[in-house]
Amino acid sequence: MPMNMIEAYGLSKTYRTRVRGEGLAASARAMFRPVYREVLAVQSIDLVVQPGEIVAFIGPNGAGKSTTIKMMTGILRPNSGSIRVLDLDPVRERSRLSYHIGTVFGQKSQLWFHLPPTDSFTLLGRIYDVEPGVLKKRIAVLAERFELGALLDVPVRKMSLGQRIRCEVAASLLHEPEILFLDEPTIGLDVVVKQAIRELIRELNQEKGTTIFLTSHDAGDVEHVCRRAIVIDHGRIVLDQPVKKLKYDYLNRKIIAVRFTEEHDLKPLPGVEVLKTGGLGSRLTVDTRIRPIGEVMSWLVGSGGVADITVEDPPMEAIIAAIFSSQDESAGSSGHEKRP
Amino acid sequence: MSKGHQLRSIFNLIGLYFRVNLASAMEYRSAFMIQAFGMVLSNGSFVFFWWIAFNQIGARIGGYDFTDVMFIWAVTSSAFGTANILFANMNHISRLIISGELDTFLLQPKSVLISVLCARTSLSAWGDLLYGFILIALTQGADGQAWLMYFCGLAIGALLMTAVAVTAHTLTFYLGDASTLAGMSVEFIVNFCIYPKGIYAGWVQVLMATLIPATFMVHLPLQLARQFDPLLFSGLLLVSAAYCALAWFFFYRGLRRYESGNLIVTRL
Repeated sequence: MPMNMIEAYGLSKTYRTRVRGEGLAASARAMFRPVYREVLAVQSIDLVVQPGEIVAFIGPNGAGKSTTIKMMTGILRPNSGSIRVLDLDPVRERSRLSYHIGTVFGQKSQLWFHLPPTDSFTLLGRIYDVEPGVLKKRIAVLAERFELGALLDVPVRKMSLGQRIRCEVAASLLHEPEILFLDEPTIGLDVVVKQAIRELIRELNQEKGTTIFLTSHDAGDVEHVCRRAIVIDHGRIVLDQPVKKLKYDYLNRKIIAVRFTEEHDLKPLPGVEVLKTGGLGSRLTVDTRIRPIGEVMSWLVGSGGVADITVEDPPMEAIIAAIFSSQDESAGSSGHEKRP
Repeated sequence: MSKGHQLRSIFNLIGLYFRVNLASAMEYRSAFMIQAFGMVLSNGSFVFFWWIAFNQIGARIGGYDFTDVMFIWAVTSSAFGTANILFANMNHISRLIISGELDTFLLQPKSVLISVLCARTSLSAWGDLLYGFILIALTQGADGQAWLMYFCGLAIGALLMTAVAVTAHTLTFYLGDASTLAGMSVEFIVNFCIYPKGIYAGWVQVLMATLIPATFMVHLPLQLARQFDPLLFSGLLLVSAAYCALAWFFFYRGLRRYESGNLIVTRL
């Protein structure tokens, strides 16, 4: 096994897009005199991932997460910089590398829509040159681990999204990859299924030592699965630290939406900021460092007439904004130039 | 990996996808039967057109008699059917490039082009394949040489049609959506395959031996069916291999410019 699973230095990717004004005349002009604009999707990223790590690669939409993962897996060619995954060049040795990596793209399926997963598993096993006897055993183990027994003969089109994602993850493990790339694996899933997928990923890492590289803009994925978080925004890495620290610094706020059976007016409480109150619904943010979430729930229930409570993580955009503002503050206090 | 091993690996992959696609088609047995037999009936109407044409005009049109026209029709139909049974994605490559659907294939260890081409099948194409077979059985009888060249023409035609479609779709990497151009190129091929070669002017016949390789798909196999020439046959195989090699080269050159995408996709 190589010392580092992933090594990237000065990795950059630029897309060229056509700029077109509004209206028919602008479209006609663009046909004869096209104007192009360069979009810097990823800008000089340095990154090292070691064996057995579970890394969250997070950021808002368009930050460069998927582009980076696609360069790591050989789908896209970097414009500059160097990258090695399992000591292989993803572009030149794409085919060799693919035997050692697994990928799950939440938005793209590798299963045949009209066929039961068992058929897709058999085809994928053959594509990855897994011996039929070995493949059969692996399918049986994965089916048990991912609770797919009843689903193996059901056409994928008849499955729920959560069932399909479980099958997708299982399909990506048929060739026992050393690194698993997960791009938004929990996108569109409900809370219960999200939790199940997160547990499976954690167990896979603990039992097999599989290195996990996960992109998400769901703060819950980071909090519950990963040990290290890398935050990317506008194609640049803005933070790389243990999740424990990230959690303490930035994931310490929860948003509570509460609905009452009759009109209610909530009074402020230390550690609880009331964003909206009056009428039947209220919205609060809780700083869990000051006041644990359980206490706030008891306080709300105690105030009487609660019809429904929802606890949410703050959106990734809010976390990124908090990261930037804290970086700006520290840069300001140490006399450094502020981020534009 | 040796060339022989590479070739065997490609055939294995085609076989694998064929079995999965067939299983997928069987999920909708009624639609499969209706589409396949509907295509046989639809194609069948052209036999009457040619039968009437030969009765009205005379025994030969453009140097071909009725059985010759039926031979080129049979080869064209079966080649089109075979290409669309085995490589139906040849009609969708532009869309796959634009919507970023090549990602799935780039993540797998096997040939990207073969995997892309084989990942889809066409149900109605079985009707085209069957129609060609029926036509050759009805019009060529027990002529062994005609049967042999029918099967050779079918294979060569399917490969050439696919090669031209792949090359045209590859332009999407450079120019944006080339699906219309690629669709037209396949239509052109079919149109130049189903009429006697002699009706076309000289410059069109040059096109038919270059950009639109109808000559190599059906007209040379017909000539070989009537009078076999091993040298001409070897030349035909070489030229066909060259078209495939060029399509392969263009596709992989273009693939370097692939930009992926984040559209939500499923595999049908």
